[in-house]
Amino acid sequence: MRRRITFVQRPETPFSLDQAVVSPDALAVHGIDGAREERATFSVDELPEELSEVLKQCHQLHVRWASERRYDAVAPFSSRVSPGLHVFYTPTDGWSEDNKLKSLCVLLKRTFDYGLKCKSPEESFITPPILSTRFASTAAFQYHSLLPSLDNLVAYIENKICSSSDEQCFRYATSIKTADSIDINYDSMSHSLTVLGYWSQPPENGWTDEIRKHDAGTDQVEVGLLGTETATEPEEIKVGGLLAVVGKDDQLSMLHSGLLSAFGVANGYGTDDSRAEPTLFSFPSRHHSLPDDATYSISFTSPTGLHPTMTISMPPSSLNPPPAPPDATCALHTYLTLPSTIFGDKYQLSTTDPLFLDSHNLVSLRAVAGETDLEAPDWFVSRWGSNWLLELATPAESDQVPAEWNVTIPLHLRYLRPSESGYRPAPVPWPVVFWACTAEGGTKMGVNPFDRVNLGWEGLFGPRTMFYQLHPSSDRLVEELEVPVLQLDENGFFQSKAIELGTMIIIGLGSLWVLWKLGTIAWSSGTQTQRRSTKQKKSE
Amino acid sequence: MASVFERPSLVFGVAIALRAFLLVYGAWQDAHSAVKYTDIDYMVFTDAARYVSKGASPYARDTYRYTPLLAWMLLPTSWDGFFSFGKVLFALSDVVAGWLIAKALMSFYGMSPPRALKYASVWLLNPMVANISTRGSSEGLLCVLVIALLWAVLNRRITLAGVLLGLSVHFKIYPFIYGPSIIWWLDEEREGLKPPSQKKSPEQEDRSLFTHIFNFVTPSRLLLTTTALATFSGLNISMYILYDFPFAQHTYLHHLTRIDHRHNFSPYSSLLYLSAAGDVQGSFESLAFIPQLLLSVIVIPIVLAKRSLPGAMLAQTFAFVTFNKVCTSQYFLWYLIFLPFYLPFSSLMKNPRLGITATALWVIAQALWLQQGYYLEFLGLSSFVPGLFLASLCFFAVNIWILGIIIDDIALMGS
Repeated sequence: MRRRITFVQRPETPFSLDQAVVSPDALAVHGIDGAREERATFSVDELPEELSEVLKQCHQLHVRWASERRYDAVAPFSSRVSPGLHVFYTPTDGWSEDNKLKSLCVLLKRTFDYGLKCKSPEESFITPPILSTRFASTAAFQYHSLLPSLDNLVAYIENKICSSSDEQCFRYATSIKTADSIDINYDSMSHSLTVLGYWSQPPENGWTDEIRKHDAGTDQVEVGLLGTETATEPEEIKVGGLLAVVGKDDQLSMLHSGLLSAFGVANGYGTDDSRAEPTLFSFPSRHHSLPDDATYSISFTSPTGLHPTMTISMPPSSLNPPPAPPDATCALHTYLTLPSTIFGDKYQLSTTDPLFLDSHNLVSLRAVAGETDLEAPDWFVSRWGSNWLLELATPAESDQVPAEWNVTIPLHLRYLRPSESGYRPAPVPWPVVFWACTAEGGTKMGVNPFDRVNLGWEGLFGPRTMFYQLHPSSDRLVEELEVPVLQLDENGFFQSKAIELGTMIIIGLGSLWVLWKLGTIAWSSGTQTQRRSTKQKKSE
Repeated sequence: MASVFERPSLVFGVAIALRAFLLVYGAWQDAHSAVKYTDIDYMVFTDAARYVSKGASPYARDTYRYTPLLAWMLLPTSWDGFFSFGKVLFALSDVVAGWLIAKALMSFYGMSPPRALKYASVWLLNPMVANISTRGSSEGLLCVLVIALLWAVLNRRITLAGVLLGLSVHFKIYPFIYGPSIIWWLDEEREGLKPPSQKKSPEQEDRSLFTHIFNFVTPSRLLLTTTALATFSGLNISMYILYDFPFAQHTYLHHLTRIDHRHNFSPYSSLLYLSAAGDVQGSFESLAFIPQLLLSVIVIPIVLAKRSLPGAMLAQTFAFVTFNKVCTSQYFLWYLIFLPFYLPFSSLMKNPRLGITATALWVIAQALWLQQGYYLEFLGLSSFVPGLFLASLCFFAVNIWILGIIIDDIALMGS
């Protein structure tokens, strides 16, 4: 297992030398205030068999999980996905055998949540995108489920991956419980599985940890203590700070950085041989952050009824075009991740009618994938839901920017199963809202050591697009809708039996009454003809 | 008021002007408001027509549940500036249907032209009818087919009637219910001439059963049945060859396997919701077709068709819609078209108090349902039970009562 631990401090955060101490086989950090990214890379043969068996069937497998709690996405970790578990999966050739199909869902259930609505990728996953005016996304199958906590994953790692004596492994597993986002990547080319965790905030007294080199001594443990700076090129991110390979470097390499310039006095700390290398560490980045006041919030207009309207509200500060290169064209977008209980009408939303679009402050529907059946009740929908990429309107330059700019998206609820209370909850994860900027030339983003792809939405744009994420402004990023359903109170009067019997009796009585009417007519006409015929006979 | 009906040009002029006004108004509202006048179904038809114009299948459009003929007919809507072509077609069908009603009333009921026009105006000048077709619902097209069918039968144009019957069943399954009543009605002339049979010995009875069957199969009945079946299967086979399984799936099979039990006027609505969700032990709902078909396909034709064919068709349609597992307000148009043939002899007209009571109850029951529907749909209140459940049963009861009155009236018409 290779590890890379990165701490990123905000420019204004203080740092002193004694917060990072290098020893021959460890690096001790103390009270570091900043975001942390932990990255572990496993080769397939290091993994338990039930995991590697499933991975063998994957050409690509990418898992993204984001917390339902609000968190800061600081540069260079600026990208976001809707809260919950996202799975992007491309099978290897010849994947269609039954057991192969089911095993991924079995594994997802075992690792994340036994309650996942997942039967097999073919039944439960969606194939993105079915209506894209732009670009094809990479993964063949896509899945999402709300998942409030990773406790199940932690338990899985503790039981199946950590050896019982490995305390450090247990400690790291537990730390996942507080992560804001988790990425898991596997592809058949590298035959390695990478797990990334992201914590936007340090624990109460900062990050304090002794990062040891691996006992086996073979796999590297890299540590970075970084701070961001203003980059010279708009498409770039510049960081400076210290890097070390634990147990290999006997000192911290220093990167040129305004933030850490105080560290210059300590050149050669812990060693006799001082090798300060003032280096600029700049790289082009796909994802960029916006100022803290570029926020959005999600709400549903009350009463929601069976046709809830999602409102995205933004202050004027969110509508300032991002600091993209001058030749780039930028547009505001939202990417909706809707569970199967709620859906959009793709015909309604893909309209080009300016009256409709203007009344909702929408520009157009760019892509939609998944369950878009307009009629089916939820229990007949096998796949998890749908994804929608919409371009949003911004106030025209001539307009006065209102205090709050509202974009509305008309949605619809499916019928849910009856319940005792007459209502059922339908949680809806907040969508992500971002500016997407495309430049003619543009740079390749792959050289970024913190690059993040396979997020669902970014694959719907060209490879040279830059994204500027707006910050969600509420503490919980899931909206709970209340869906009215048929009330089945097994103690009350209107039980299913009452409805069945009531319908049966009314229909039965109605039919009998009409039949009786028709019967008397037929009978009386029969007697009439008889009478007439006896009359005729008499007259004869 | 009577003078208005003296002048057919005025009645038809007003009918056309009403529709023309609504078409223009609809276009204006669509162009100026985010709330559209045009029915969502019309968007489905025109999308399907656009697919056809590009050489694709109309079933590429979700929820297109109609014959490809409709999409073909609406092909011009895919041309620039011809978007409203279909609405004009539907509105014109309305007017033609009204004209056929007036013609039939004159020739078969011996009505004077003003009286015929007065009753035809129940359809021609009905704002609900004009509204539905100018919003772009295809029911008007079906109604003109059904009324043409009636007109052809009454005129003894049997081949034409067979073709129309086959075509309208291909268009929308329900007109098949008219087959039995037309067939039953067709032998009127012969049956009426035959002297009532005497008491017979058992062997003679056997023979007479055979002769009964033999006598039942008359040339005109055969002709109607074969032309209808030939048209129906000819169209279906050609459409199946052209569009394969999606055609069968969306036009017909969908109705057998439909899973969208959204609330509607049908008394079965709550039960179907329950059973679709798997919360019902019994399978009563799968027997729902029995009362519906028993009444509308067998008993009503046998008892009423020979007394009054249009009357029987009205009662059949009314029973079919009332007992249907799904019922929305566009279905009411299916029986509305027959009212001009029934109202002249109706106790609802002769006894205004009864007429007003029946109309008021029909409207109130719907209003009650709509109120519960509003609570559910817009306020998000769980009004399935008892609200919608009881409201739909009430509406059913009112309909049954009205159906009883209709049946009584038609029985008197014939005797």
